[in-house]
Amino acid sequence: MNRVFSLLLILLPVLILIIYGKILLTSQEDVTALYDPKPIPQFQLLTLQGQEILPTEFDGISLLNVWASWCITCLVEHPFLTKLSQNNINLIGLNYKDSKSNAQQWLKKRGDPYKFSIHDPRGDLAFDLGVTGAPETFLVANQEIIGHIQGELNQEKWESIFVPLIRSIEAQNP
Amino acid sequence: MLVEIAHFLTVTSAVILLLILFLNVFFSFAKPHANQIVLSNKLFNQACFLIFISFGLYVYLAAIDDFSITYIANHSNSQLPVFYKITSIWSAHEGSMFLWIVFLTLWSVLFVNFLSLAHPLKKGTLLMLTLIILGFLLFLLVTSNPFDRILPFAAGEGADINPVLQDPALAIHPPMLYLGYVGFVISFSFITAYLFYGDFNYPWEKDIQTWSLVAWIFLTIGITLGSWWAYYELGWGGYWFWDPVENVALMPWLAATAFMHSLFASSKSGVLKTWTLFLGIMIFTLSLFGAFIVRSGIIDSVHSFANDPQRGMYLLGFSGFITIIALAVLAYRLPQLQSSKLIVAGSKESFLSMNNILMLTAIFSIFLGVTYPLILESLNGNKVSIGPPYYNTIFSPLILITSIFMMASIDGLWQRGMQLRKLYISIAPTLFVSGLGVYGIWHFTQIFSILAYVGILSGLLIIVSYSLKTVSALRDKTYLNKGSLLAHVGLGLLFFSISMNSILSYQKNINLFVGGEQVINSKIPQFQFVDLQKIKASNHDVISATIFLIHDDKPIYLNPEKRKYFARGQITSETAIHASFLKDTYLTIGDQLEDGSWTFSLQINYFVKWIWFSSALMAAGIAMTIFKKKI
Repeated sequence: MNRVFSLLLILLPVLILIIYGKILLTSQEDVTALYDPKPIPQFQLLTLQGQEILPTEFDGISLLNVWASWCITCLVEHPFLTKLSQNNINLIGLNYKDSKSNAQQWLKKRGDPYKFSIHDPRGDLAFDLGVTGAPETFLVANQEIIGHIQGELNQEKWESIFVPLIRSIEAQNP
Repeated sequence: MLVEIAHFLTVTSAVILLLILFLNVFFSFAKPHANQIVLSNKLFNQACFLIFISFGLYVYLAAIDDFSITYIANHSNSQLPVFYKITSIWSAHEGSMFLWIVFLTLWSVLFVNFLSLAHPLKKGTLLMLTLIILGFLLFLLVTSNPFDRILPFAAGEGADINPVLQDPALAIHPPMLYLGYVGFVISFSFITAYLFYGDFNYPWEKDIQTWSLVAWIFLTIGITLGSWWAYYELGWGGYWFWDPVENVALMPWLAATAFMHSLFASSKSGVLKTWTLFLGIMIFTLSLFGAFIVRSGIIDSVHSFANDPQRGMYLLGFSGFITIIALAVLAYRLPQLQSSKLIVAGSKESFLSMNNILMLTAIFSIFLGVTYPLILESLNGNKVSIGPPYYNTIFSPLILITSIFMMASIDGLWQRGMQLRKLYISIAPTLFVSGLGVYGIWHFTQIFSILAYVGILSGLLIIVSYSLKTVSALRDKTYLNKGSLLAHVGLGLLFFSISMNSILSYQKNINLFVGGEQVINSKIPQFQFVDLQKIKASNHDVISATIFLIHDDKPIYLNPEKRKYFARGQITSETAIHASFLKDTYLTIGDQLEDGSWTFSLQINYFVKWIWFSSALMAAGIAMTIFKKKI
């Protein structure tokens, strides 16, 4: 038993060292992962205002952004989202594991860039979408998800990942 | 010229430290000499002294605005008051690292000279401390030199300290925190020396008890000041954000708290020895981990310094190196450390060892919360936030279990089990009163949140059990450990206030023209925007609003401000706070809208002051323990 502890005492810190060394050394390249288009999963949720959501809301090009009032990175990407919405991008929020009042206060305080936000307090829709945390953003074209970014959406990722996808969709359906 | 002298002194100091290491390696091959330790000690004192002189010179240079020094030119400004010129030294990486090393040296030199020449662990401790100081001095000189000059021309004016850092609380928050962090270098080196030395009958605990308690007080004050500053300066209305940097400060604090308790058990009854040694090593290791997280730039946060992988690599490598030395000796000695005594179930130390396990769980959960997003990011470049829901859910059951053990252990005895019947009798009144309290709060507020009520119950269990204990001790004239009482009641109050704050506080956003007024709710029937003034201050412009409001029949004037700093063009928001016994009326002014009206954010924060008051109680309790021991 003592031997196991002795080994652990040395191996664990070494392991942690290796992990952090690797994190430091990994150059953070943006992943332009190819994403197989798939339809938006069925869901029975309402907006934060309590209205029903029609599938036609996802016609054309829109962004589905997963956010929560407790998420600090969401705060970081908020100005960029606001800019997108001012440029007439159809931005739909997915409020994730959050309370309705906190979410509404957050939007009131920081400004609401979303056309509407789907209230998903238990993370049901998020689970079906394959969300791992907040923030994440899905690119939706005609009710089909065609792109996915985990983490903060910024100008760089927008231009390198989503803009090419949007161009290719527009080329297909002129 | 002065800066070159300061630079030269630090380099000399590093050379002397290296010399000490060489000398001792050399002596270990030759015959041991009686003067070896005397010589090492003298050299060590000199090396430390040189570092202090060098830092003194640096402070002077910052005060006289020597903008030919890159670091000072980038972080100070001639328009700043002298106080902030000096505090600007620790507003960024290089200078704060310098301060960190100065404190490391200060603790080390005090402790080394506190140990008598004949002390069996003196040599080992001194060598370990020498190695650690040398490692960090080299880090400072090689990767983050604060003495660099702007050549050939000096800057005419400095770039200014970040305005949110121009604040008294922030001026003392880093020094306090660093004093706490590096204070545990003493337990680290002393324990490593003890393990190398190998005479396990030596009562090592008494030598570092007071030192650890003092370091703990600094760490607690440092963290509390940071939280207080965030509350009134950042204008978010919160006091704790589970930001990675807050988390890395909390980890050593938890380890240090567990260590203090474990140290008592170890010195009183000889049990938990391995635990104590392990925790004593881990505190400093976790402090170093914190330094690594903040200074390597692998996270984005209010605290993080500029990104530089070279620094990160050095810190990681060196911290890993000394940690593995310490843990390897511990692992090697593990078979010999087996205590002959077993822990009796129901004794005081059995509860303490349970709390050790709980604290370690808490530390591990935080570590996971900090590390997981980083691992994910390095694997596929994604950023995720692990937010308060994660920590709140993990912490509330841990807190409840901790409080239950605390409540149960209050009448516990060293090395003797407690009869179950006696245990029931001792906790029944506490359970009853606390339950009543929770019901009362629910009845009064009509708000329910499971996590918050778990916290409230935990807080009440601790407060009530200690209060009942005090009453019975006063009645029976039995012994009462007042320091422990104060510290534990502080902890209970902390749990209680945090939870009460989370259920009672609320926020309103208001939009008014100058002269306009509004009804907020039944408690705040009037909120009037009286006046708006533009004022010029020494290094910034001020927009100051005057608000009149009636809160709980009390008239209050508040003056929230917005400041625009000249040197950086940065705009900050100064919160206006009216504090009453239970709550803060917390007002920040936002932006002017296009129609000319202004936005305000009004927050009513309950029990916020109590949170800091409870930390102060904890620190005071531990301070009392120290002084009592002296007398």
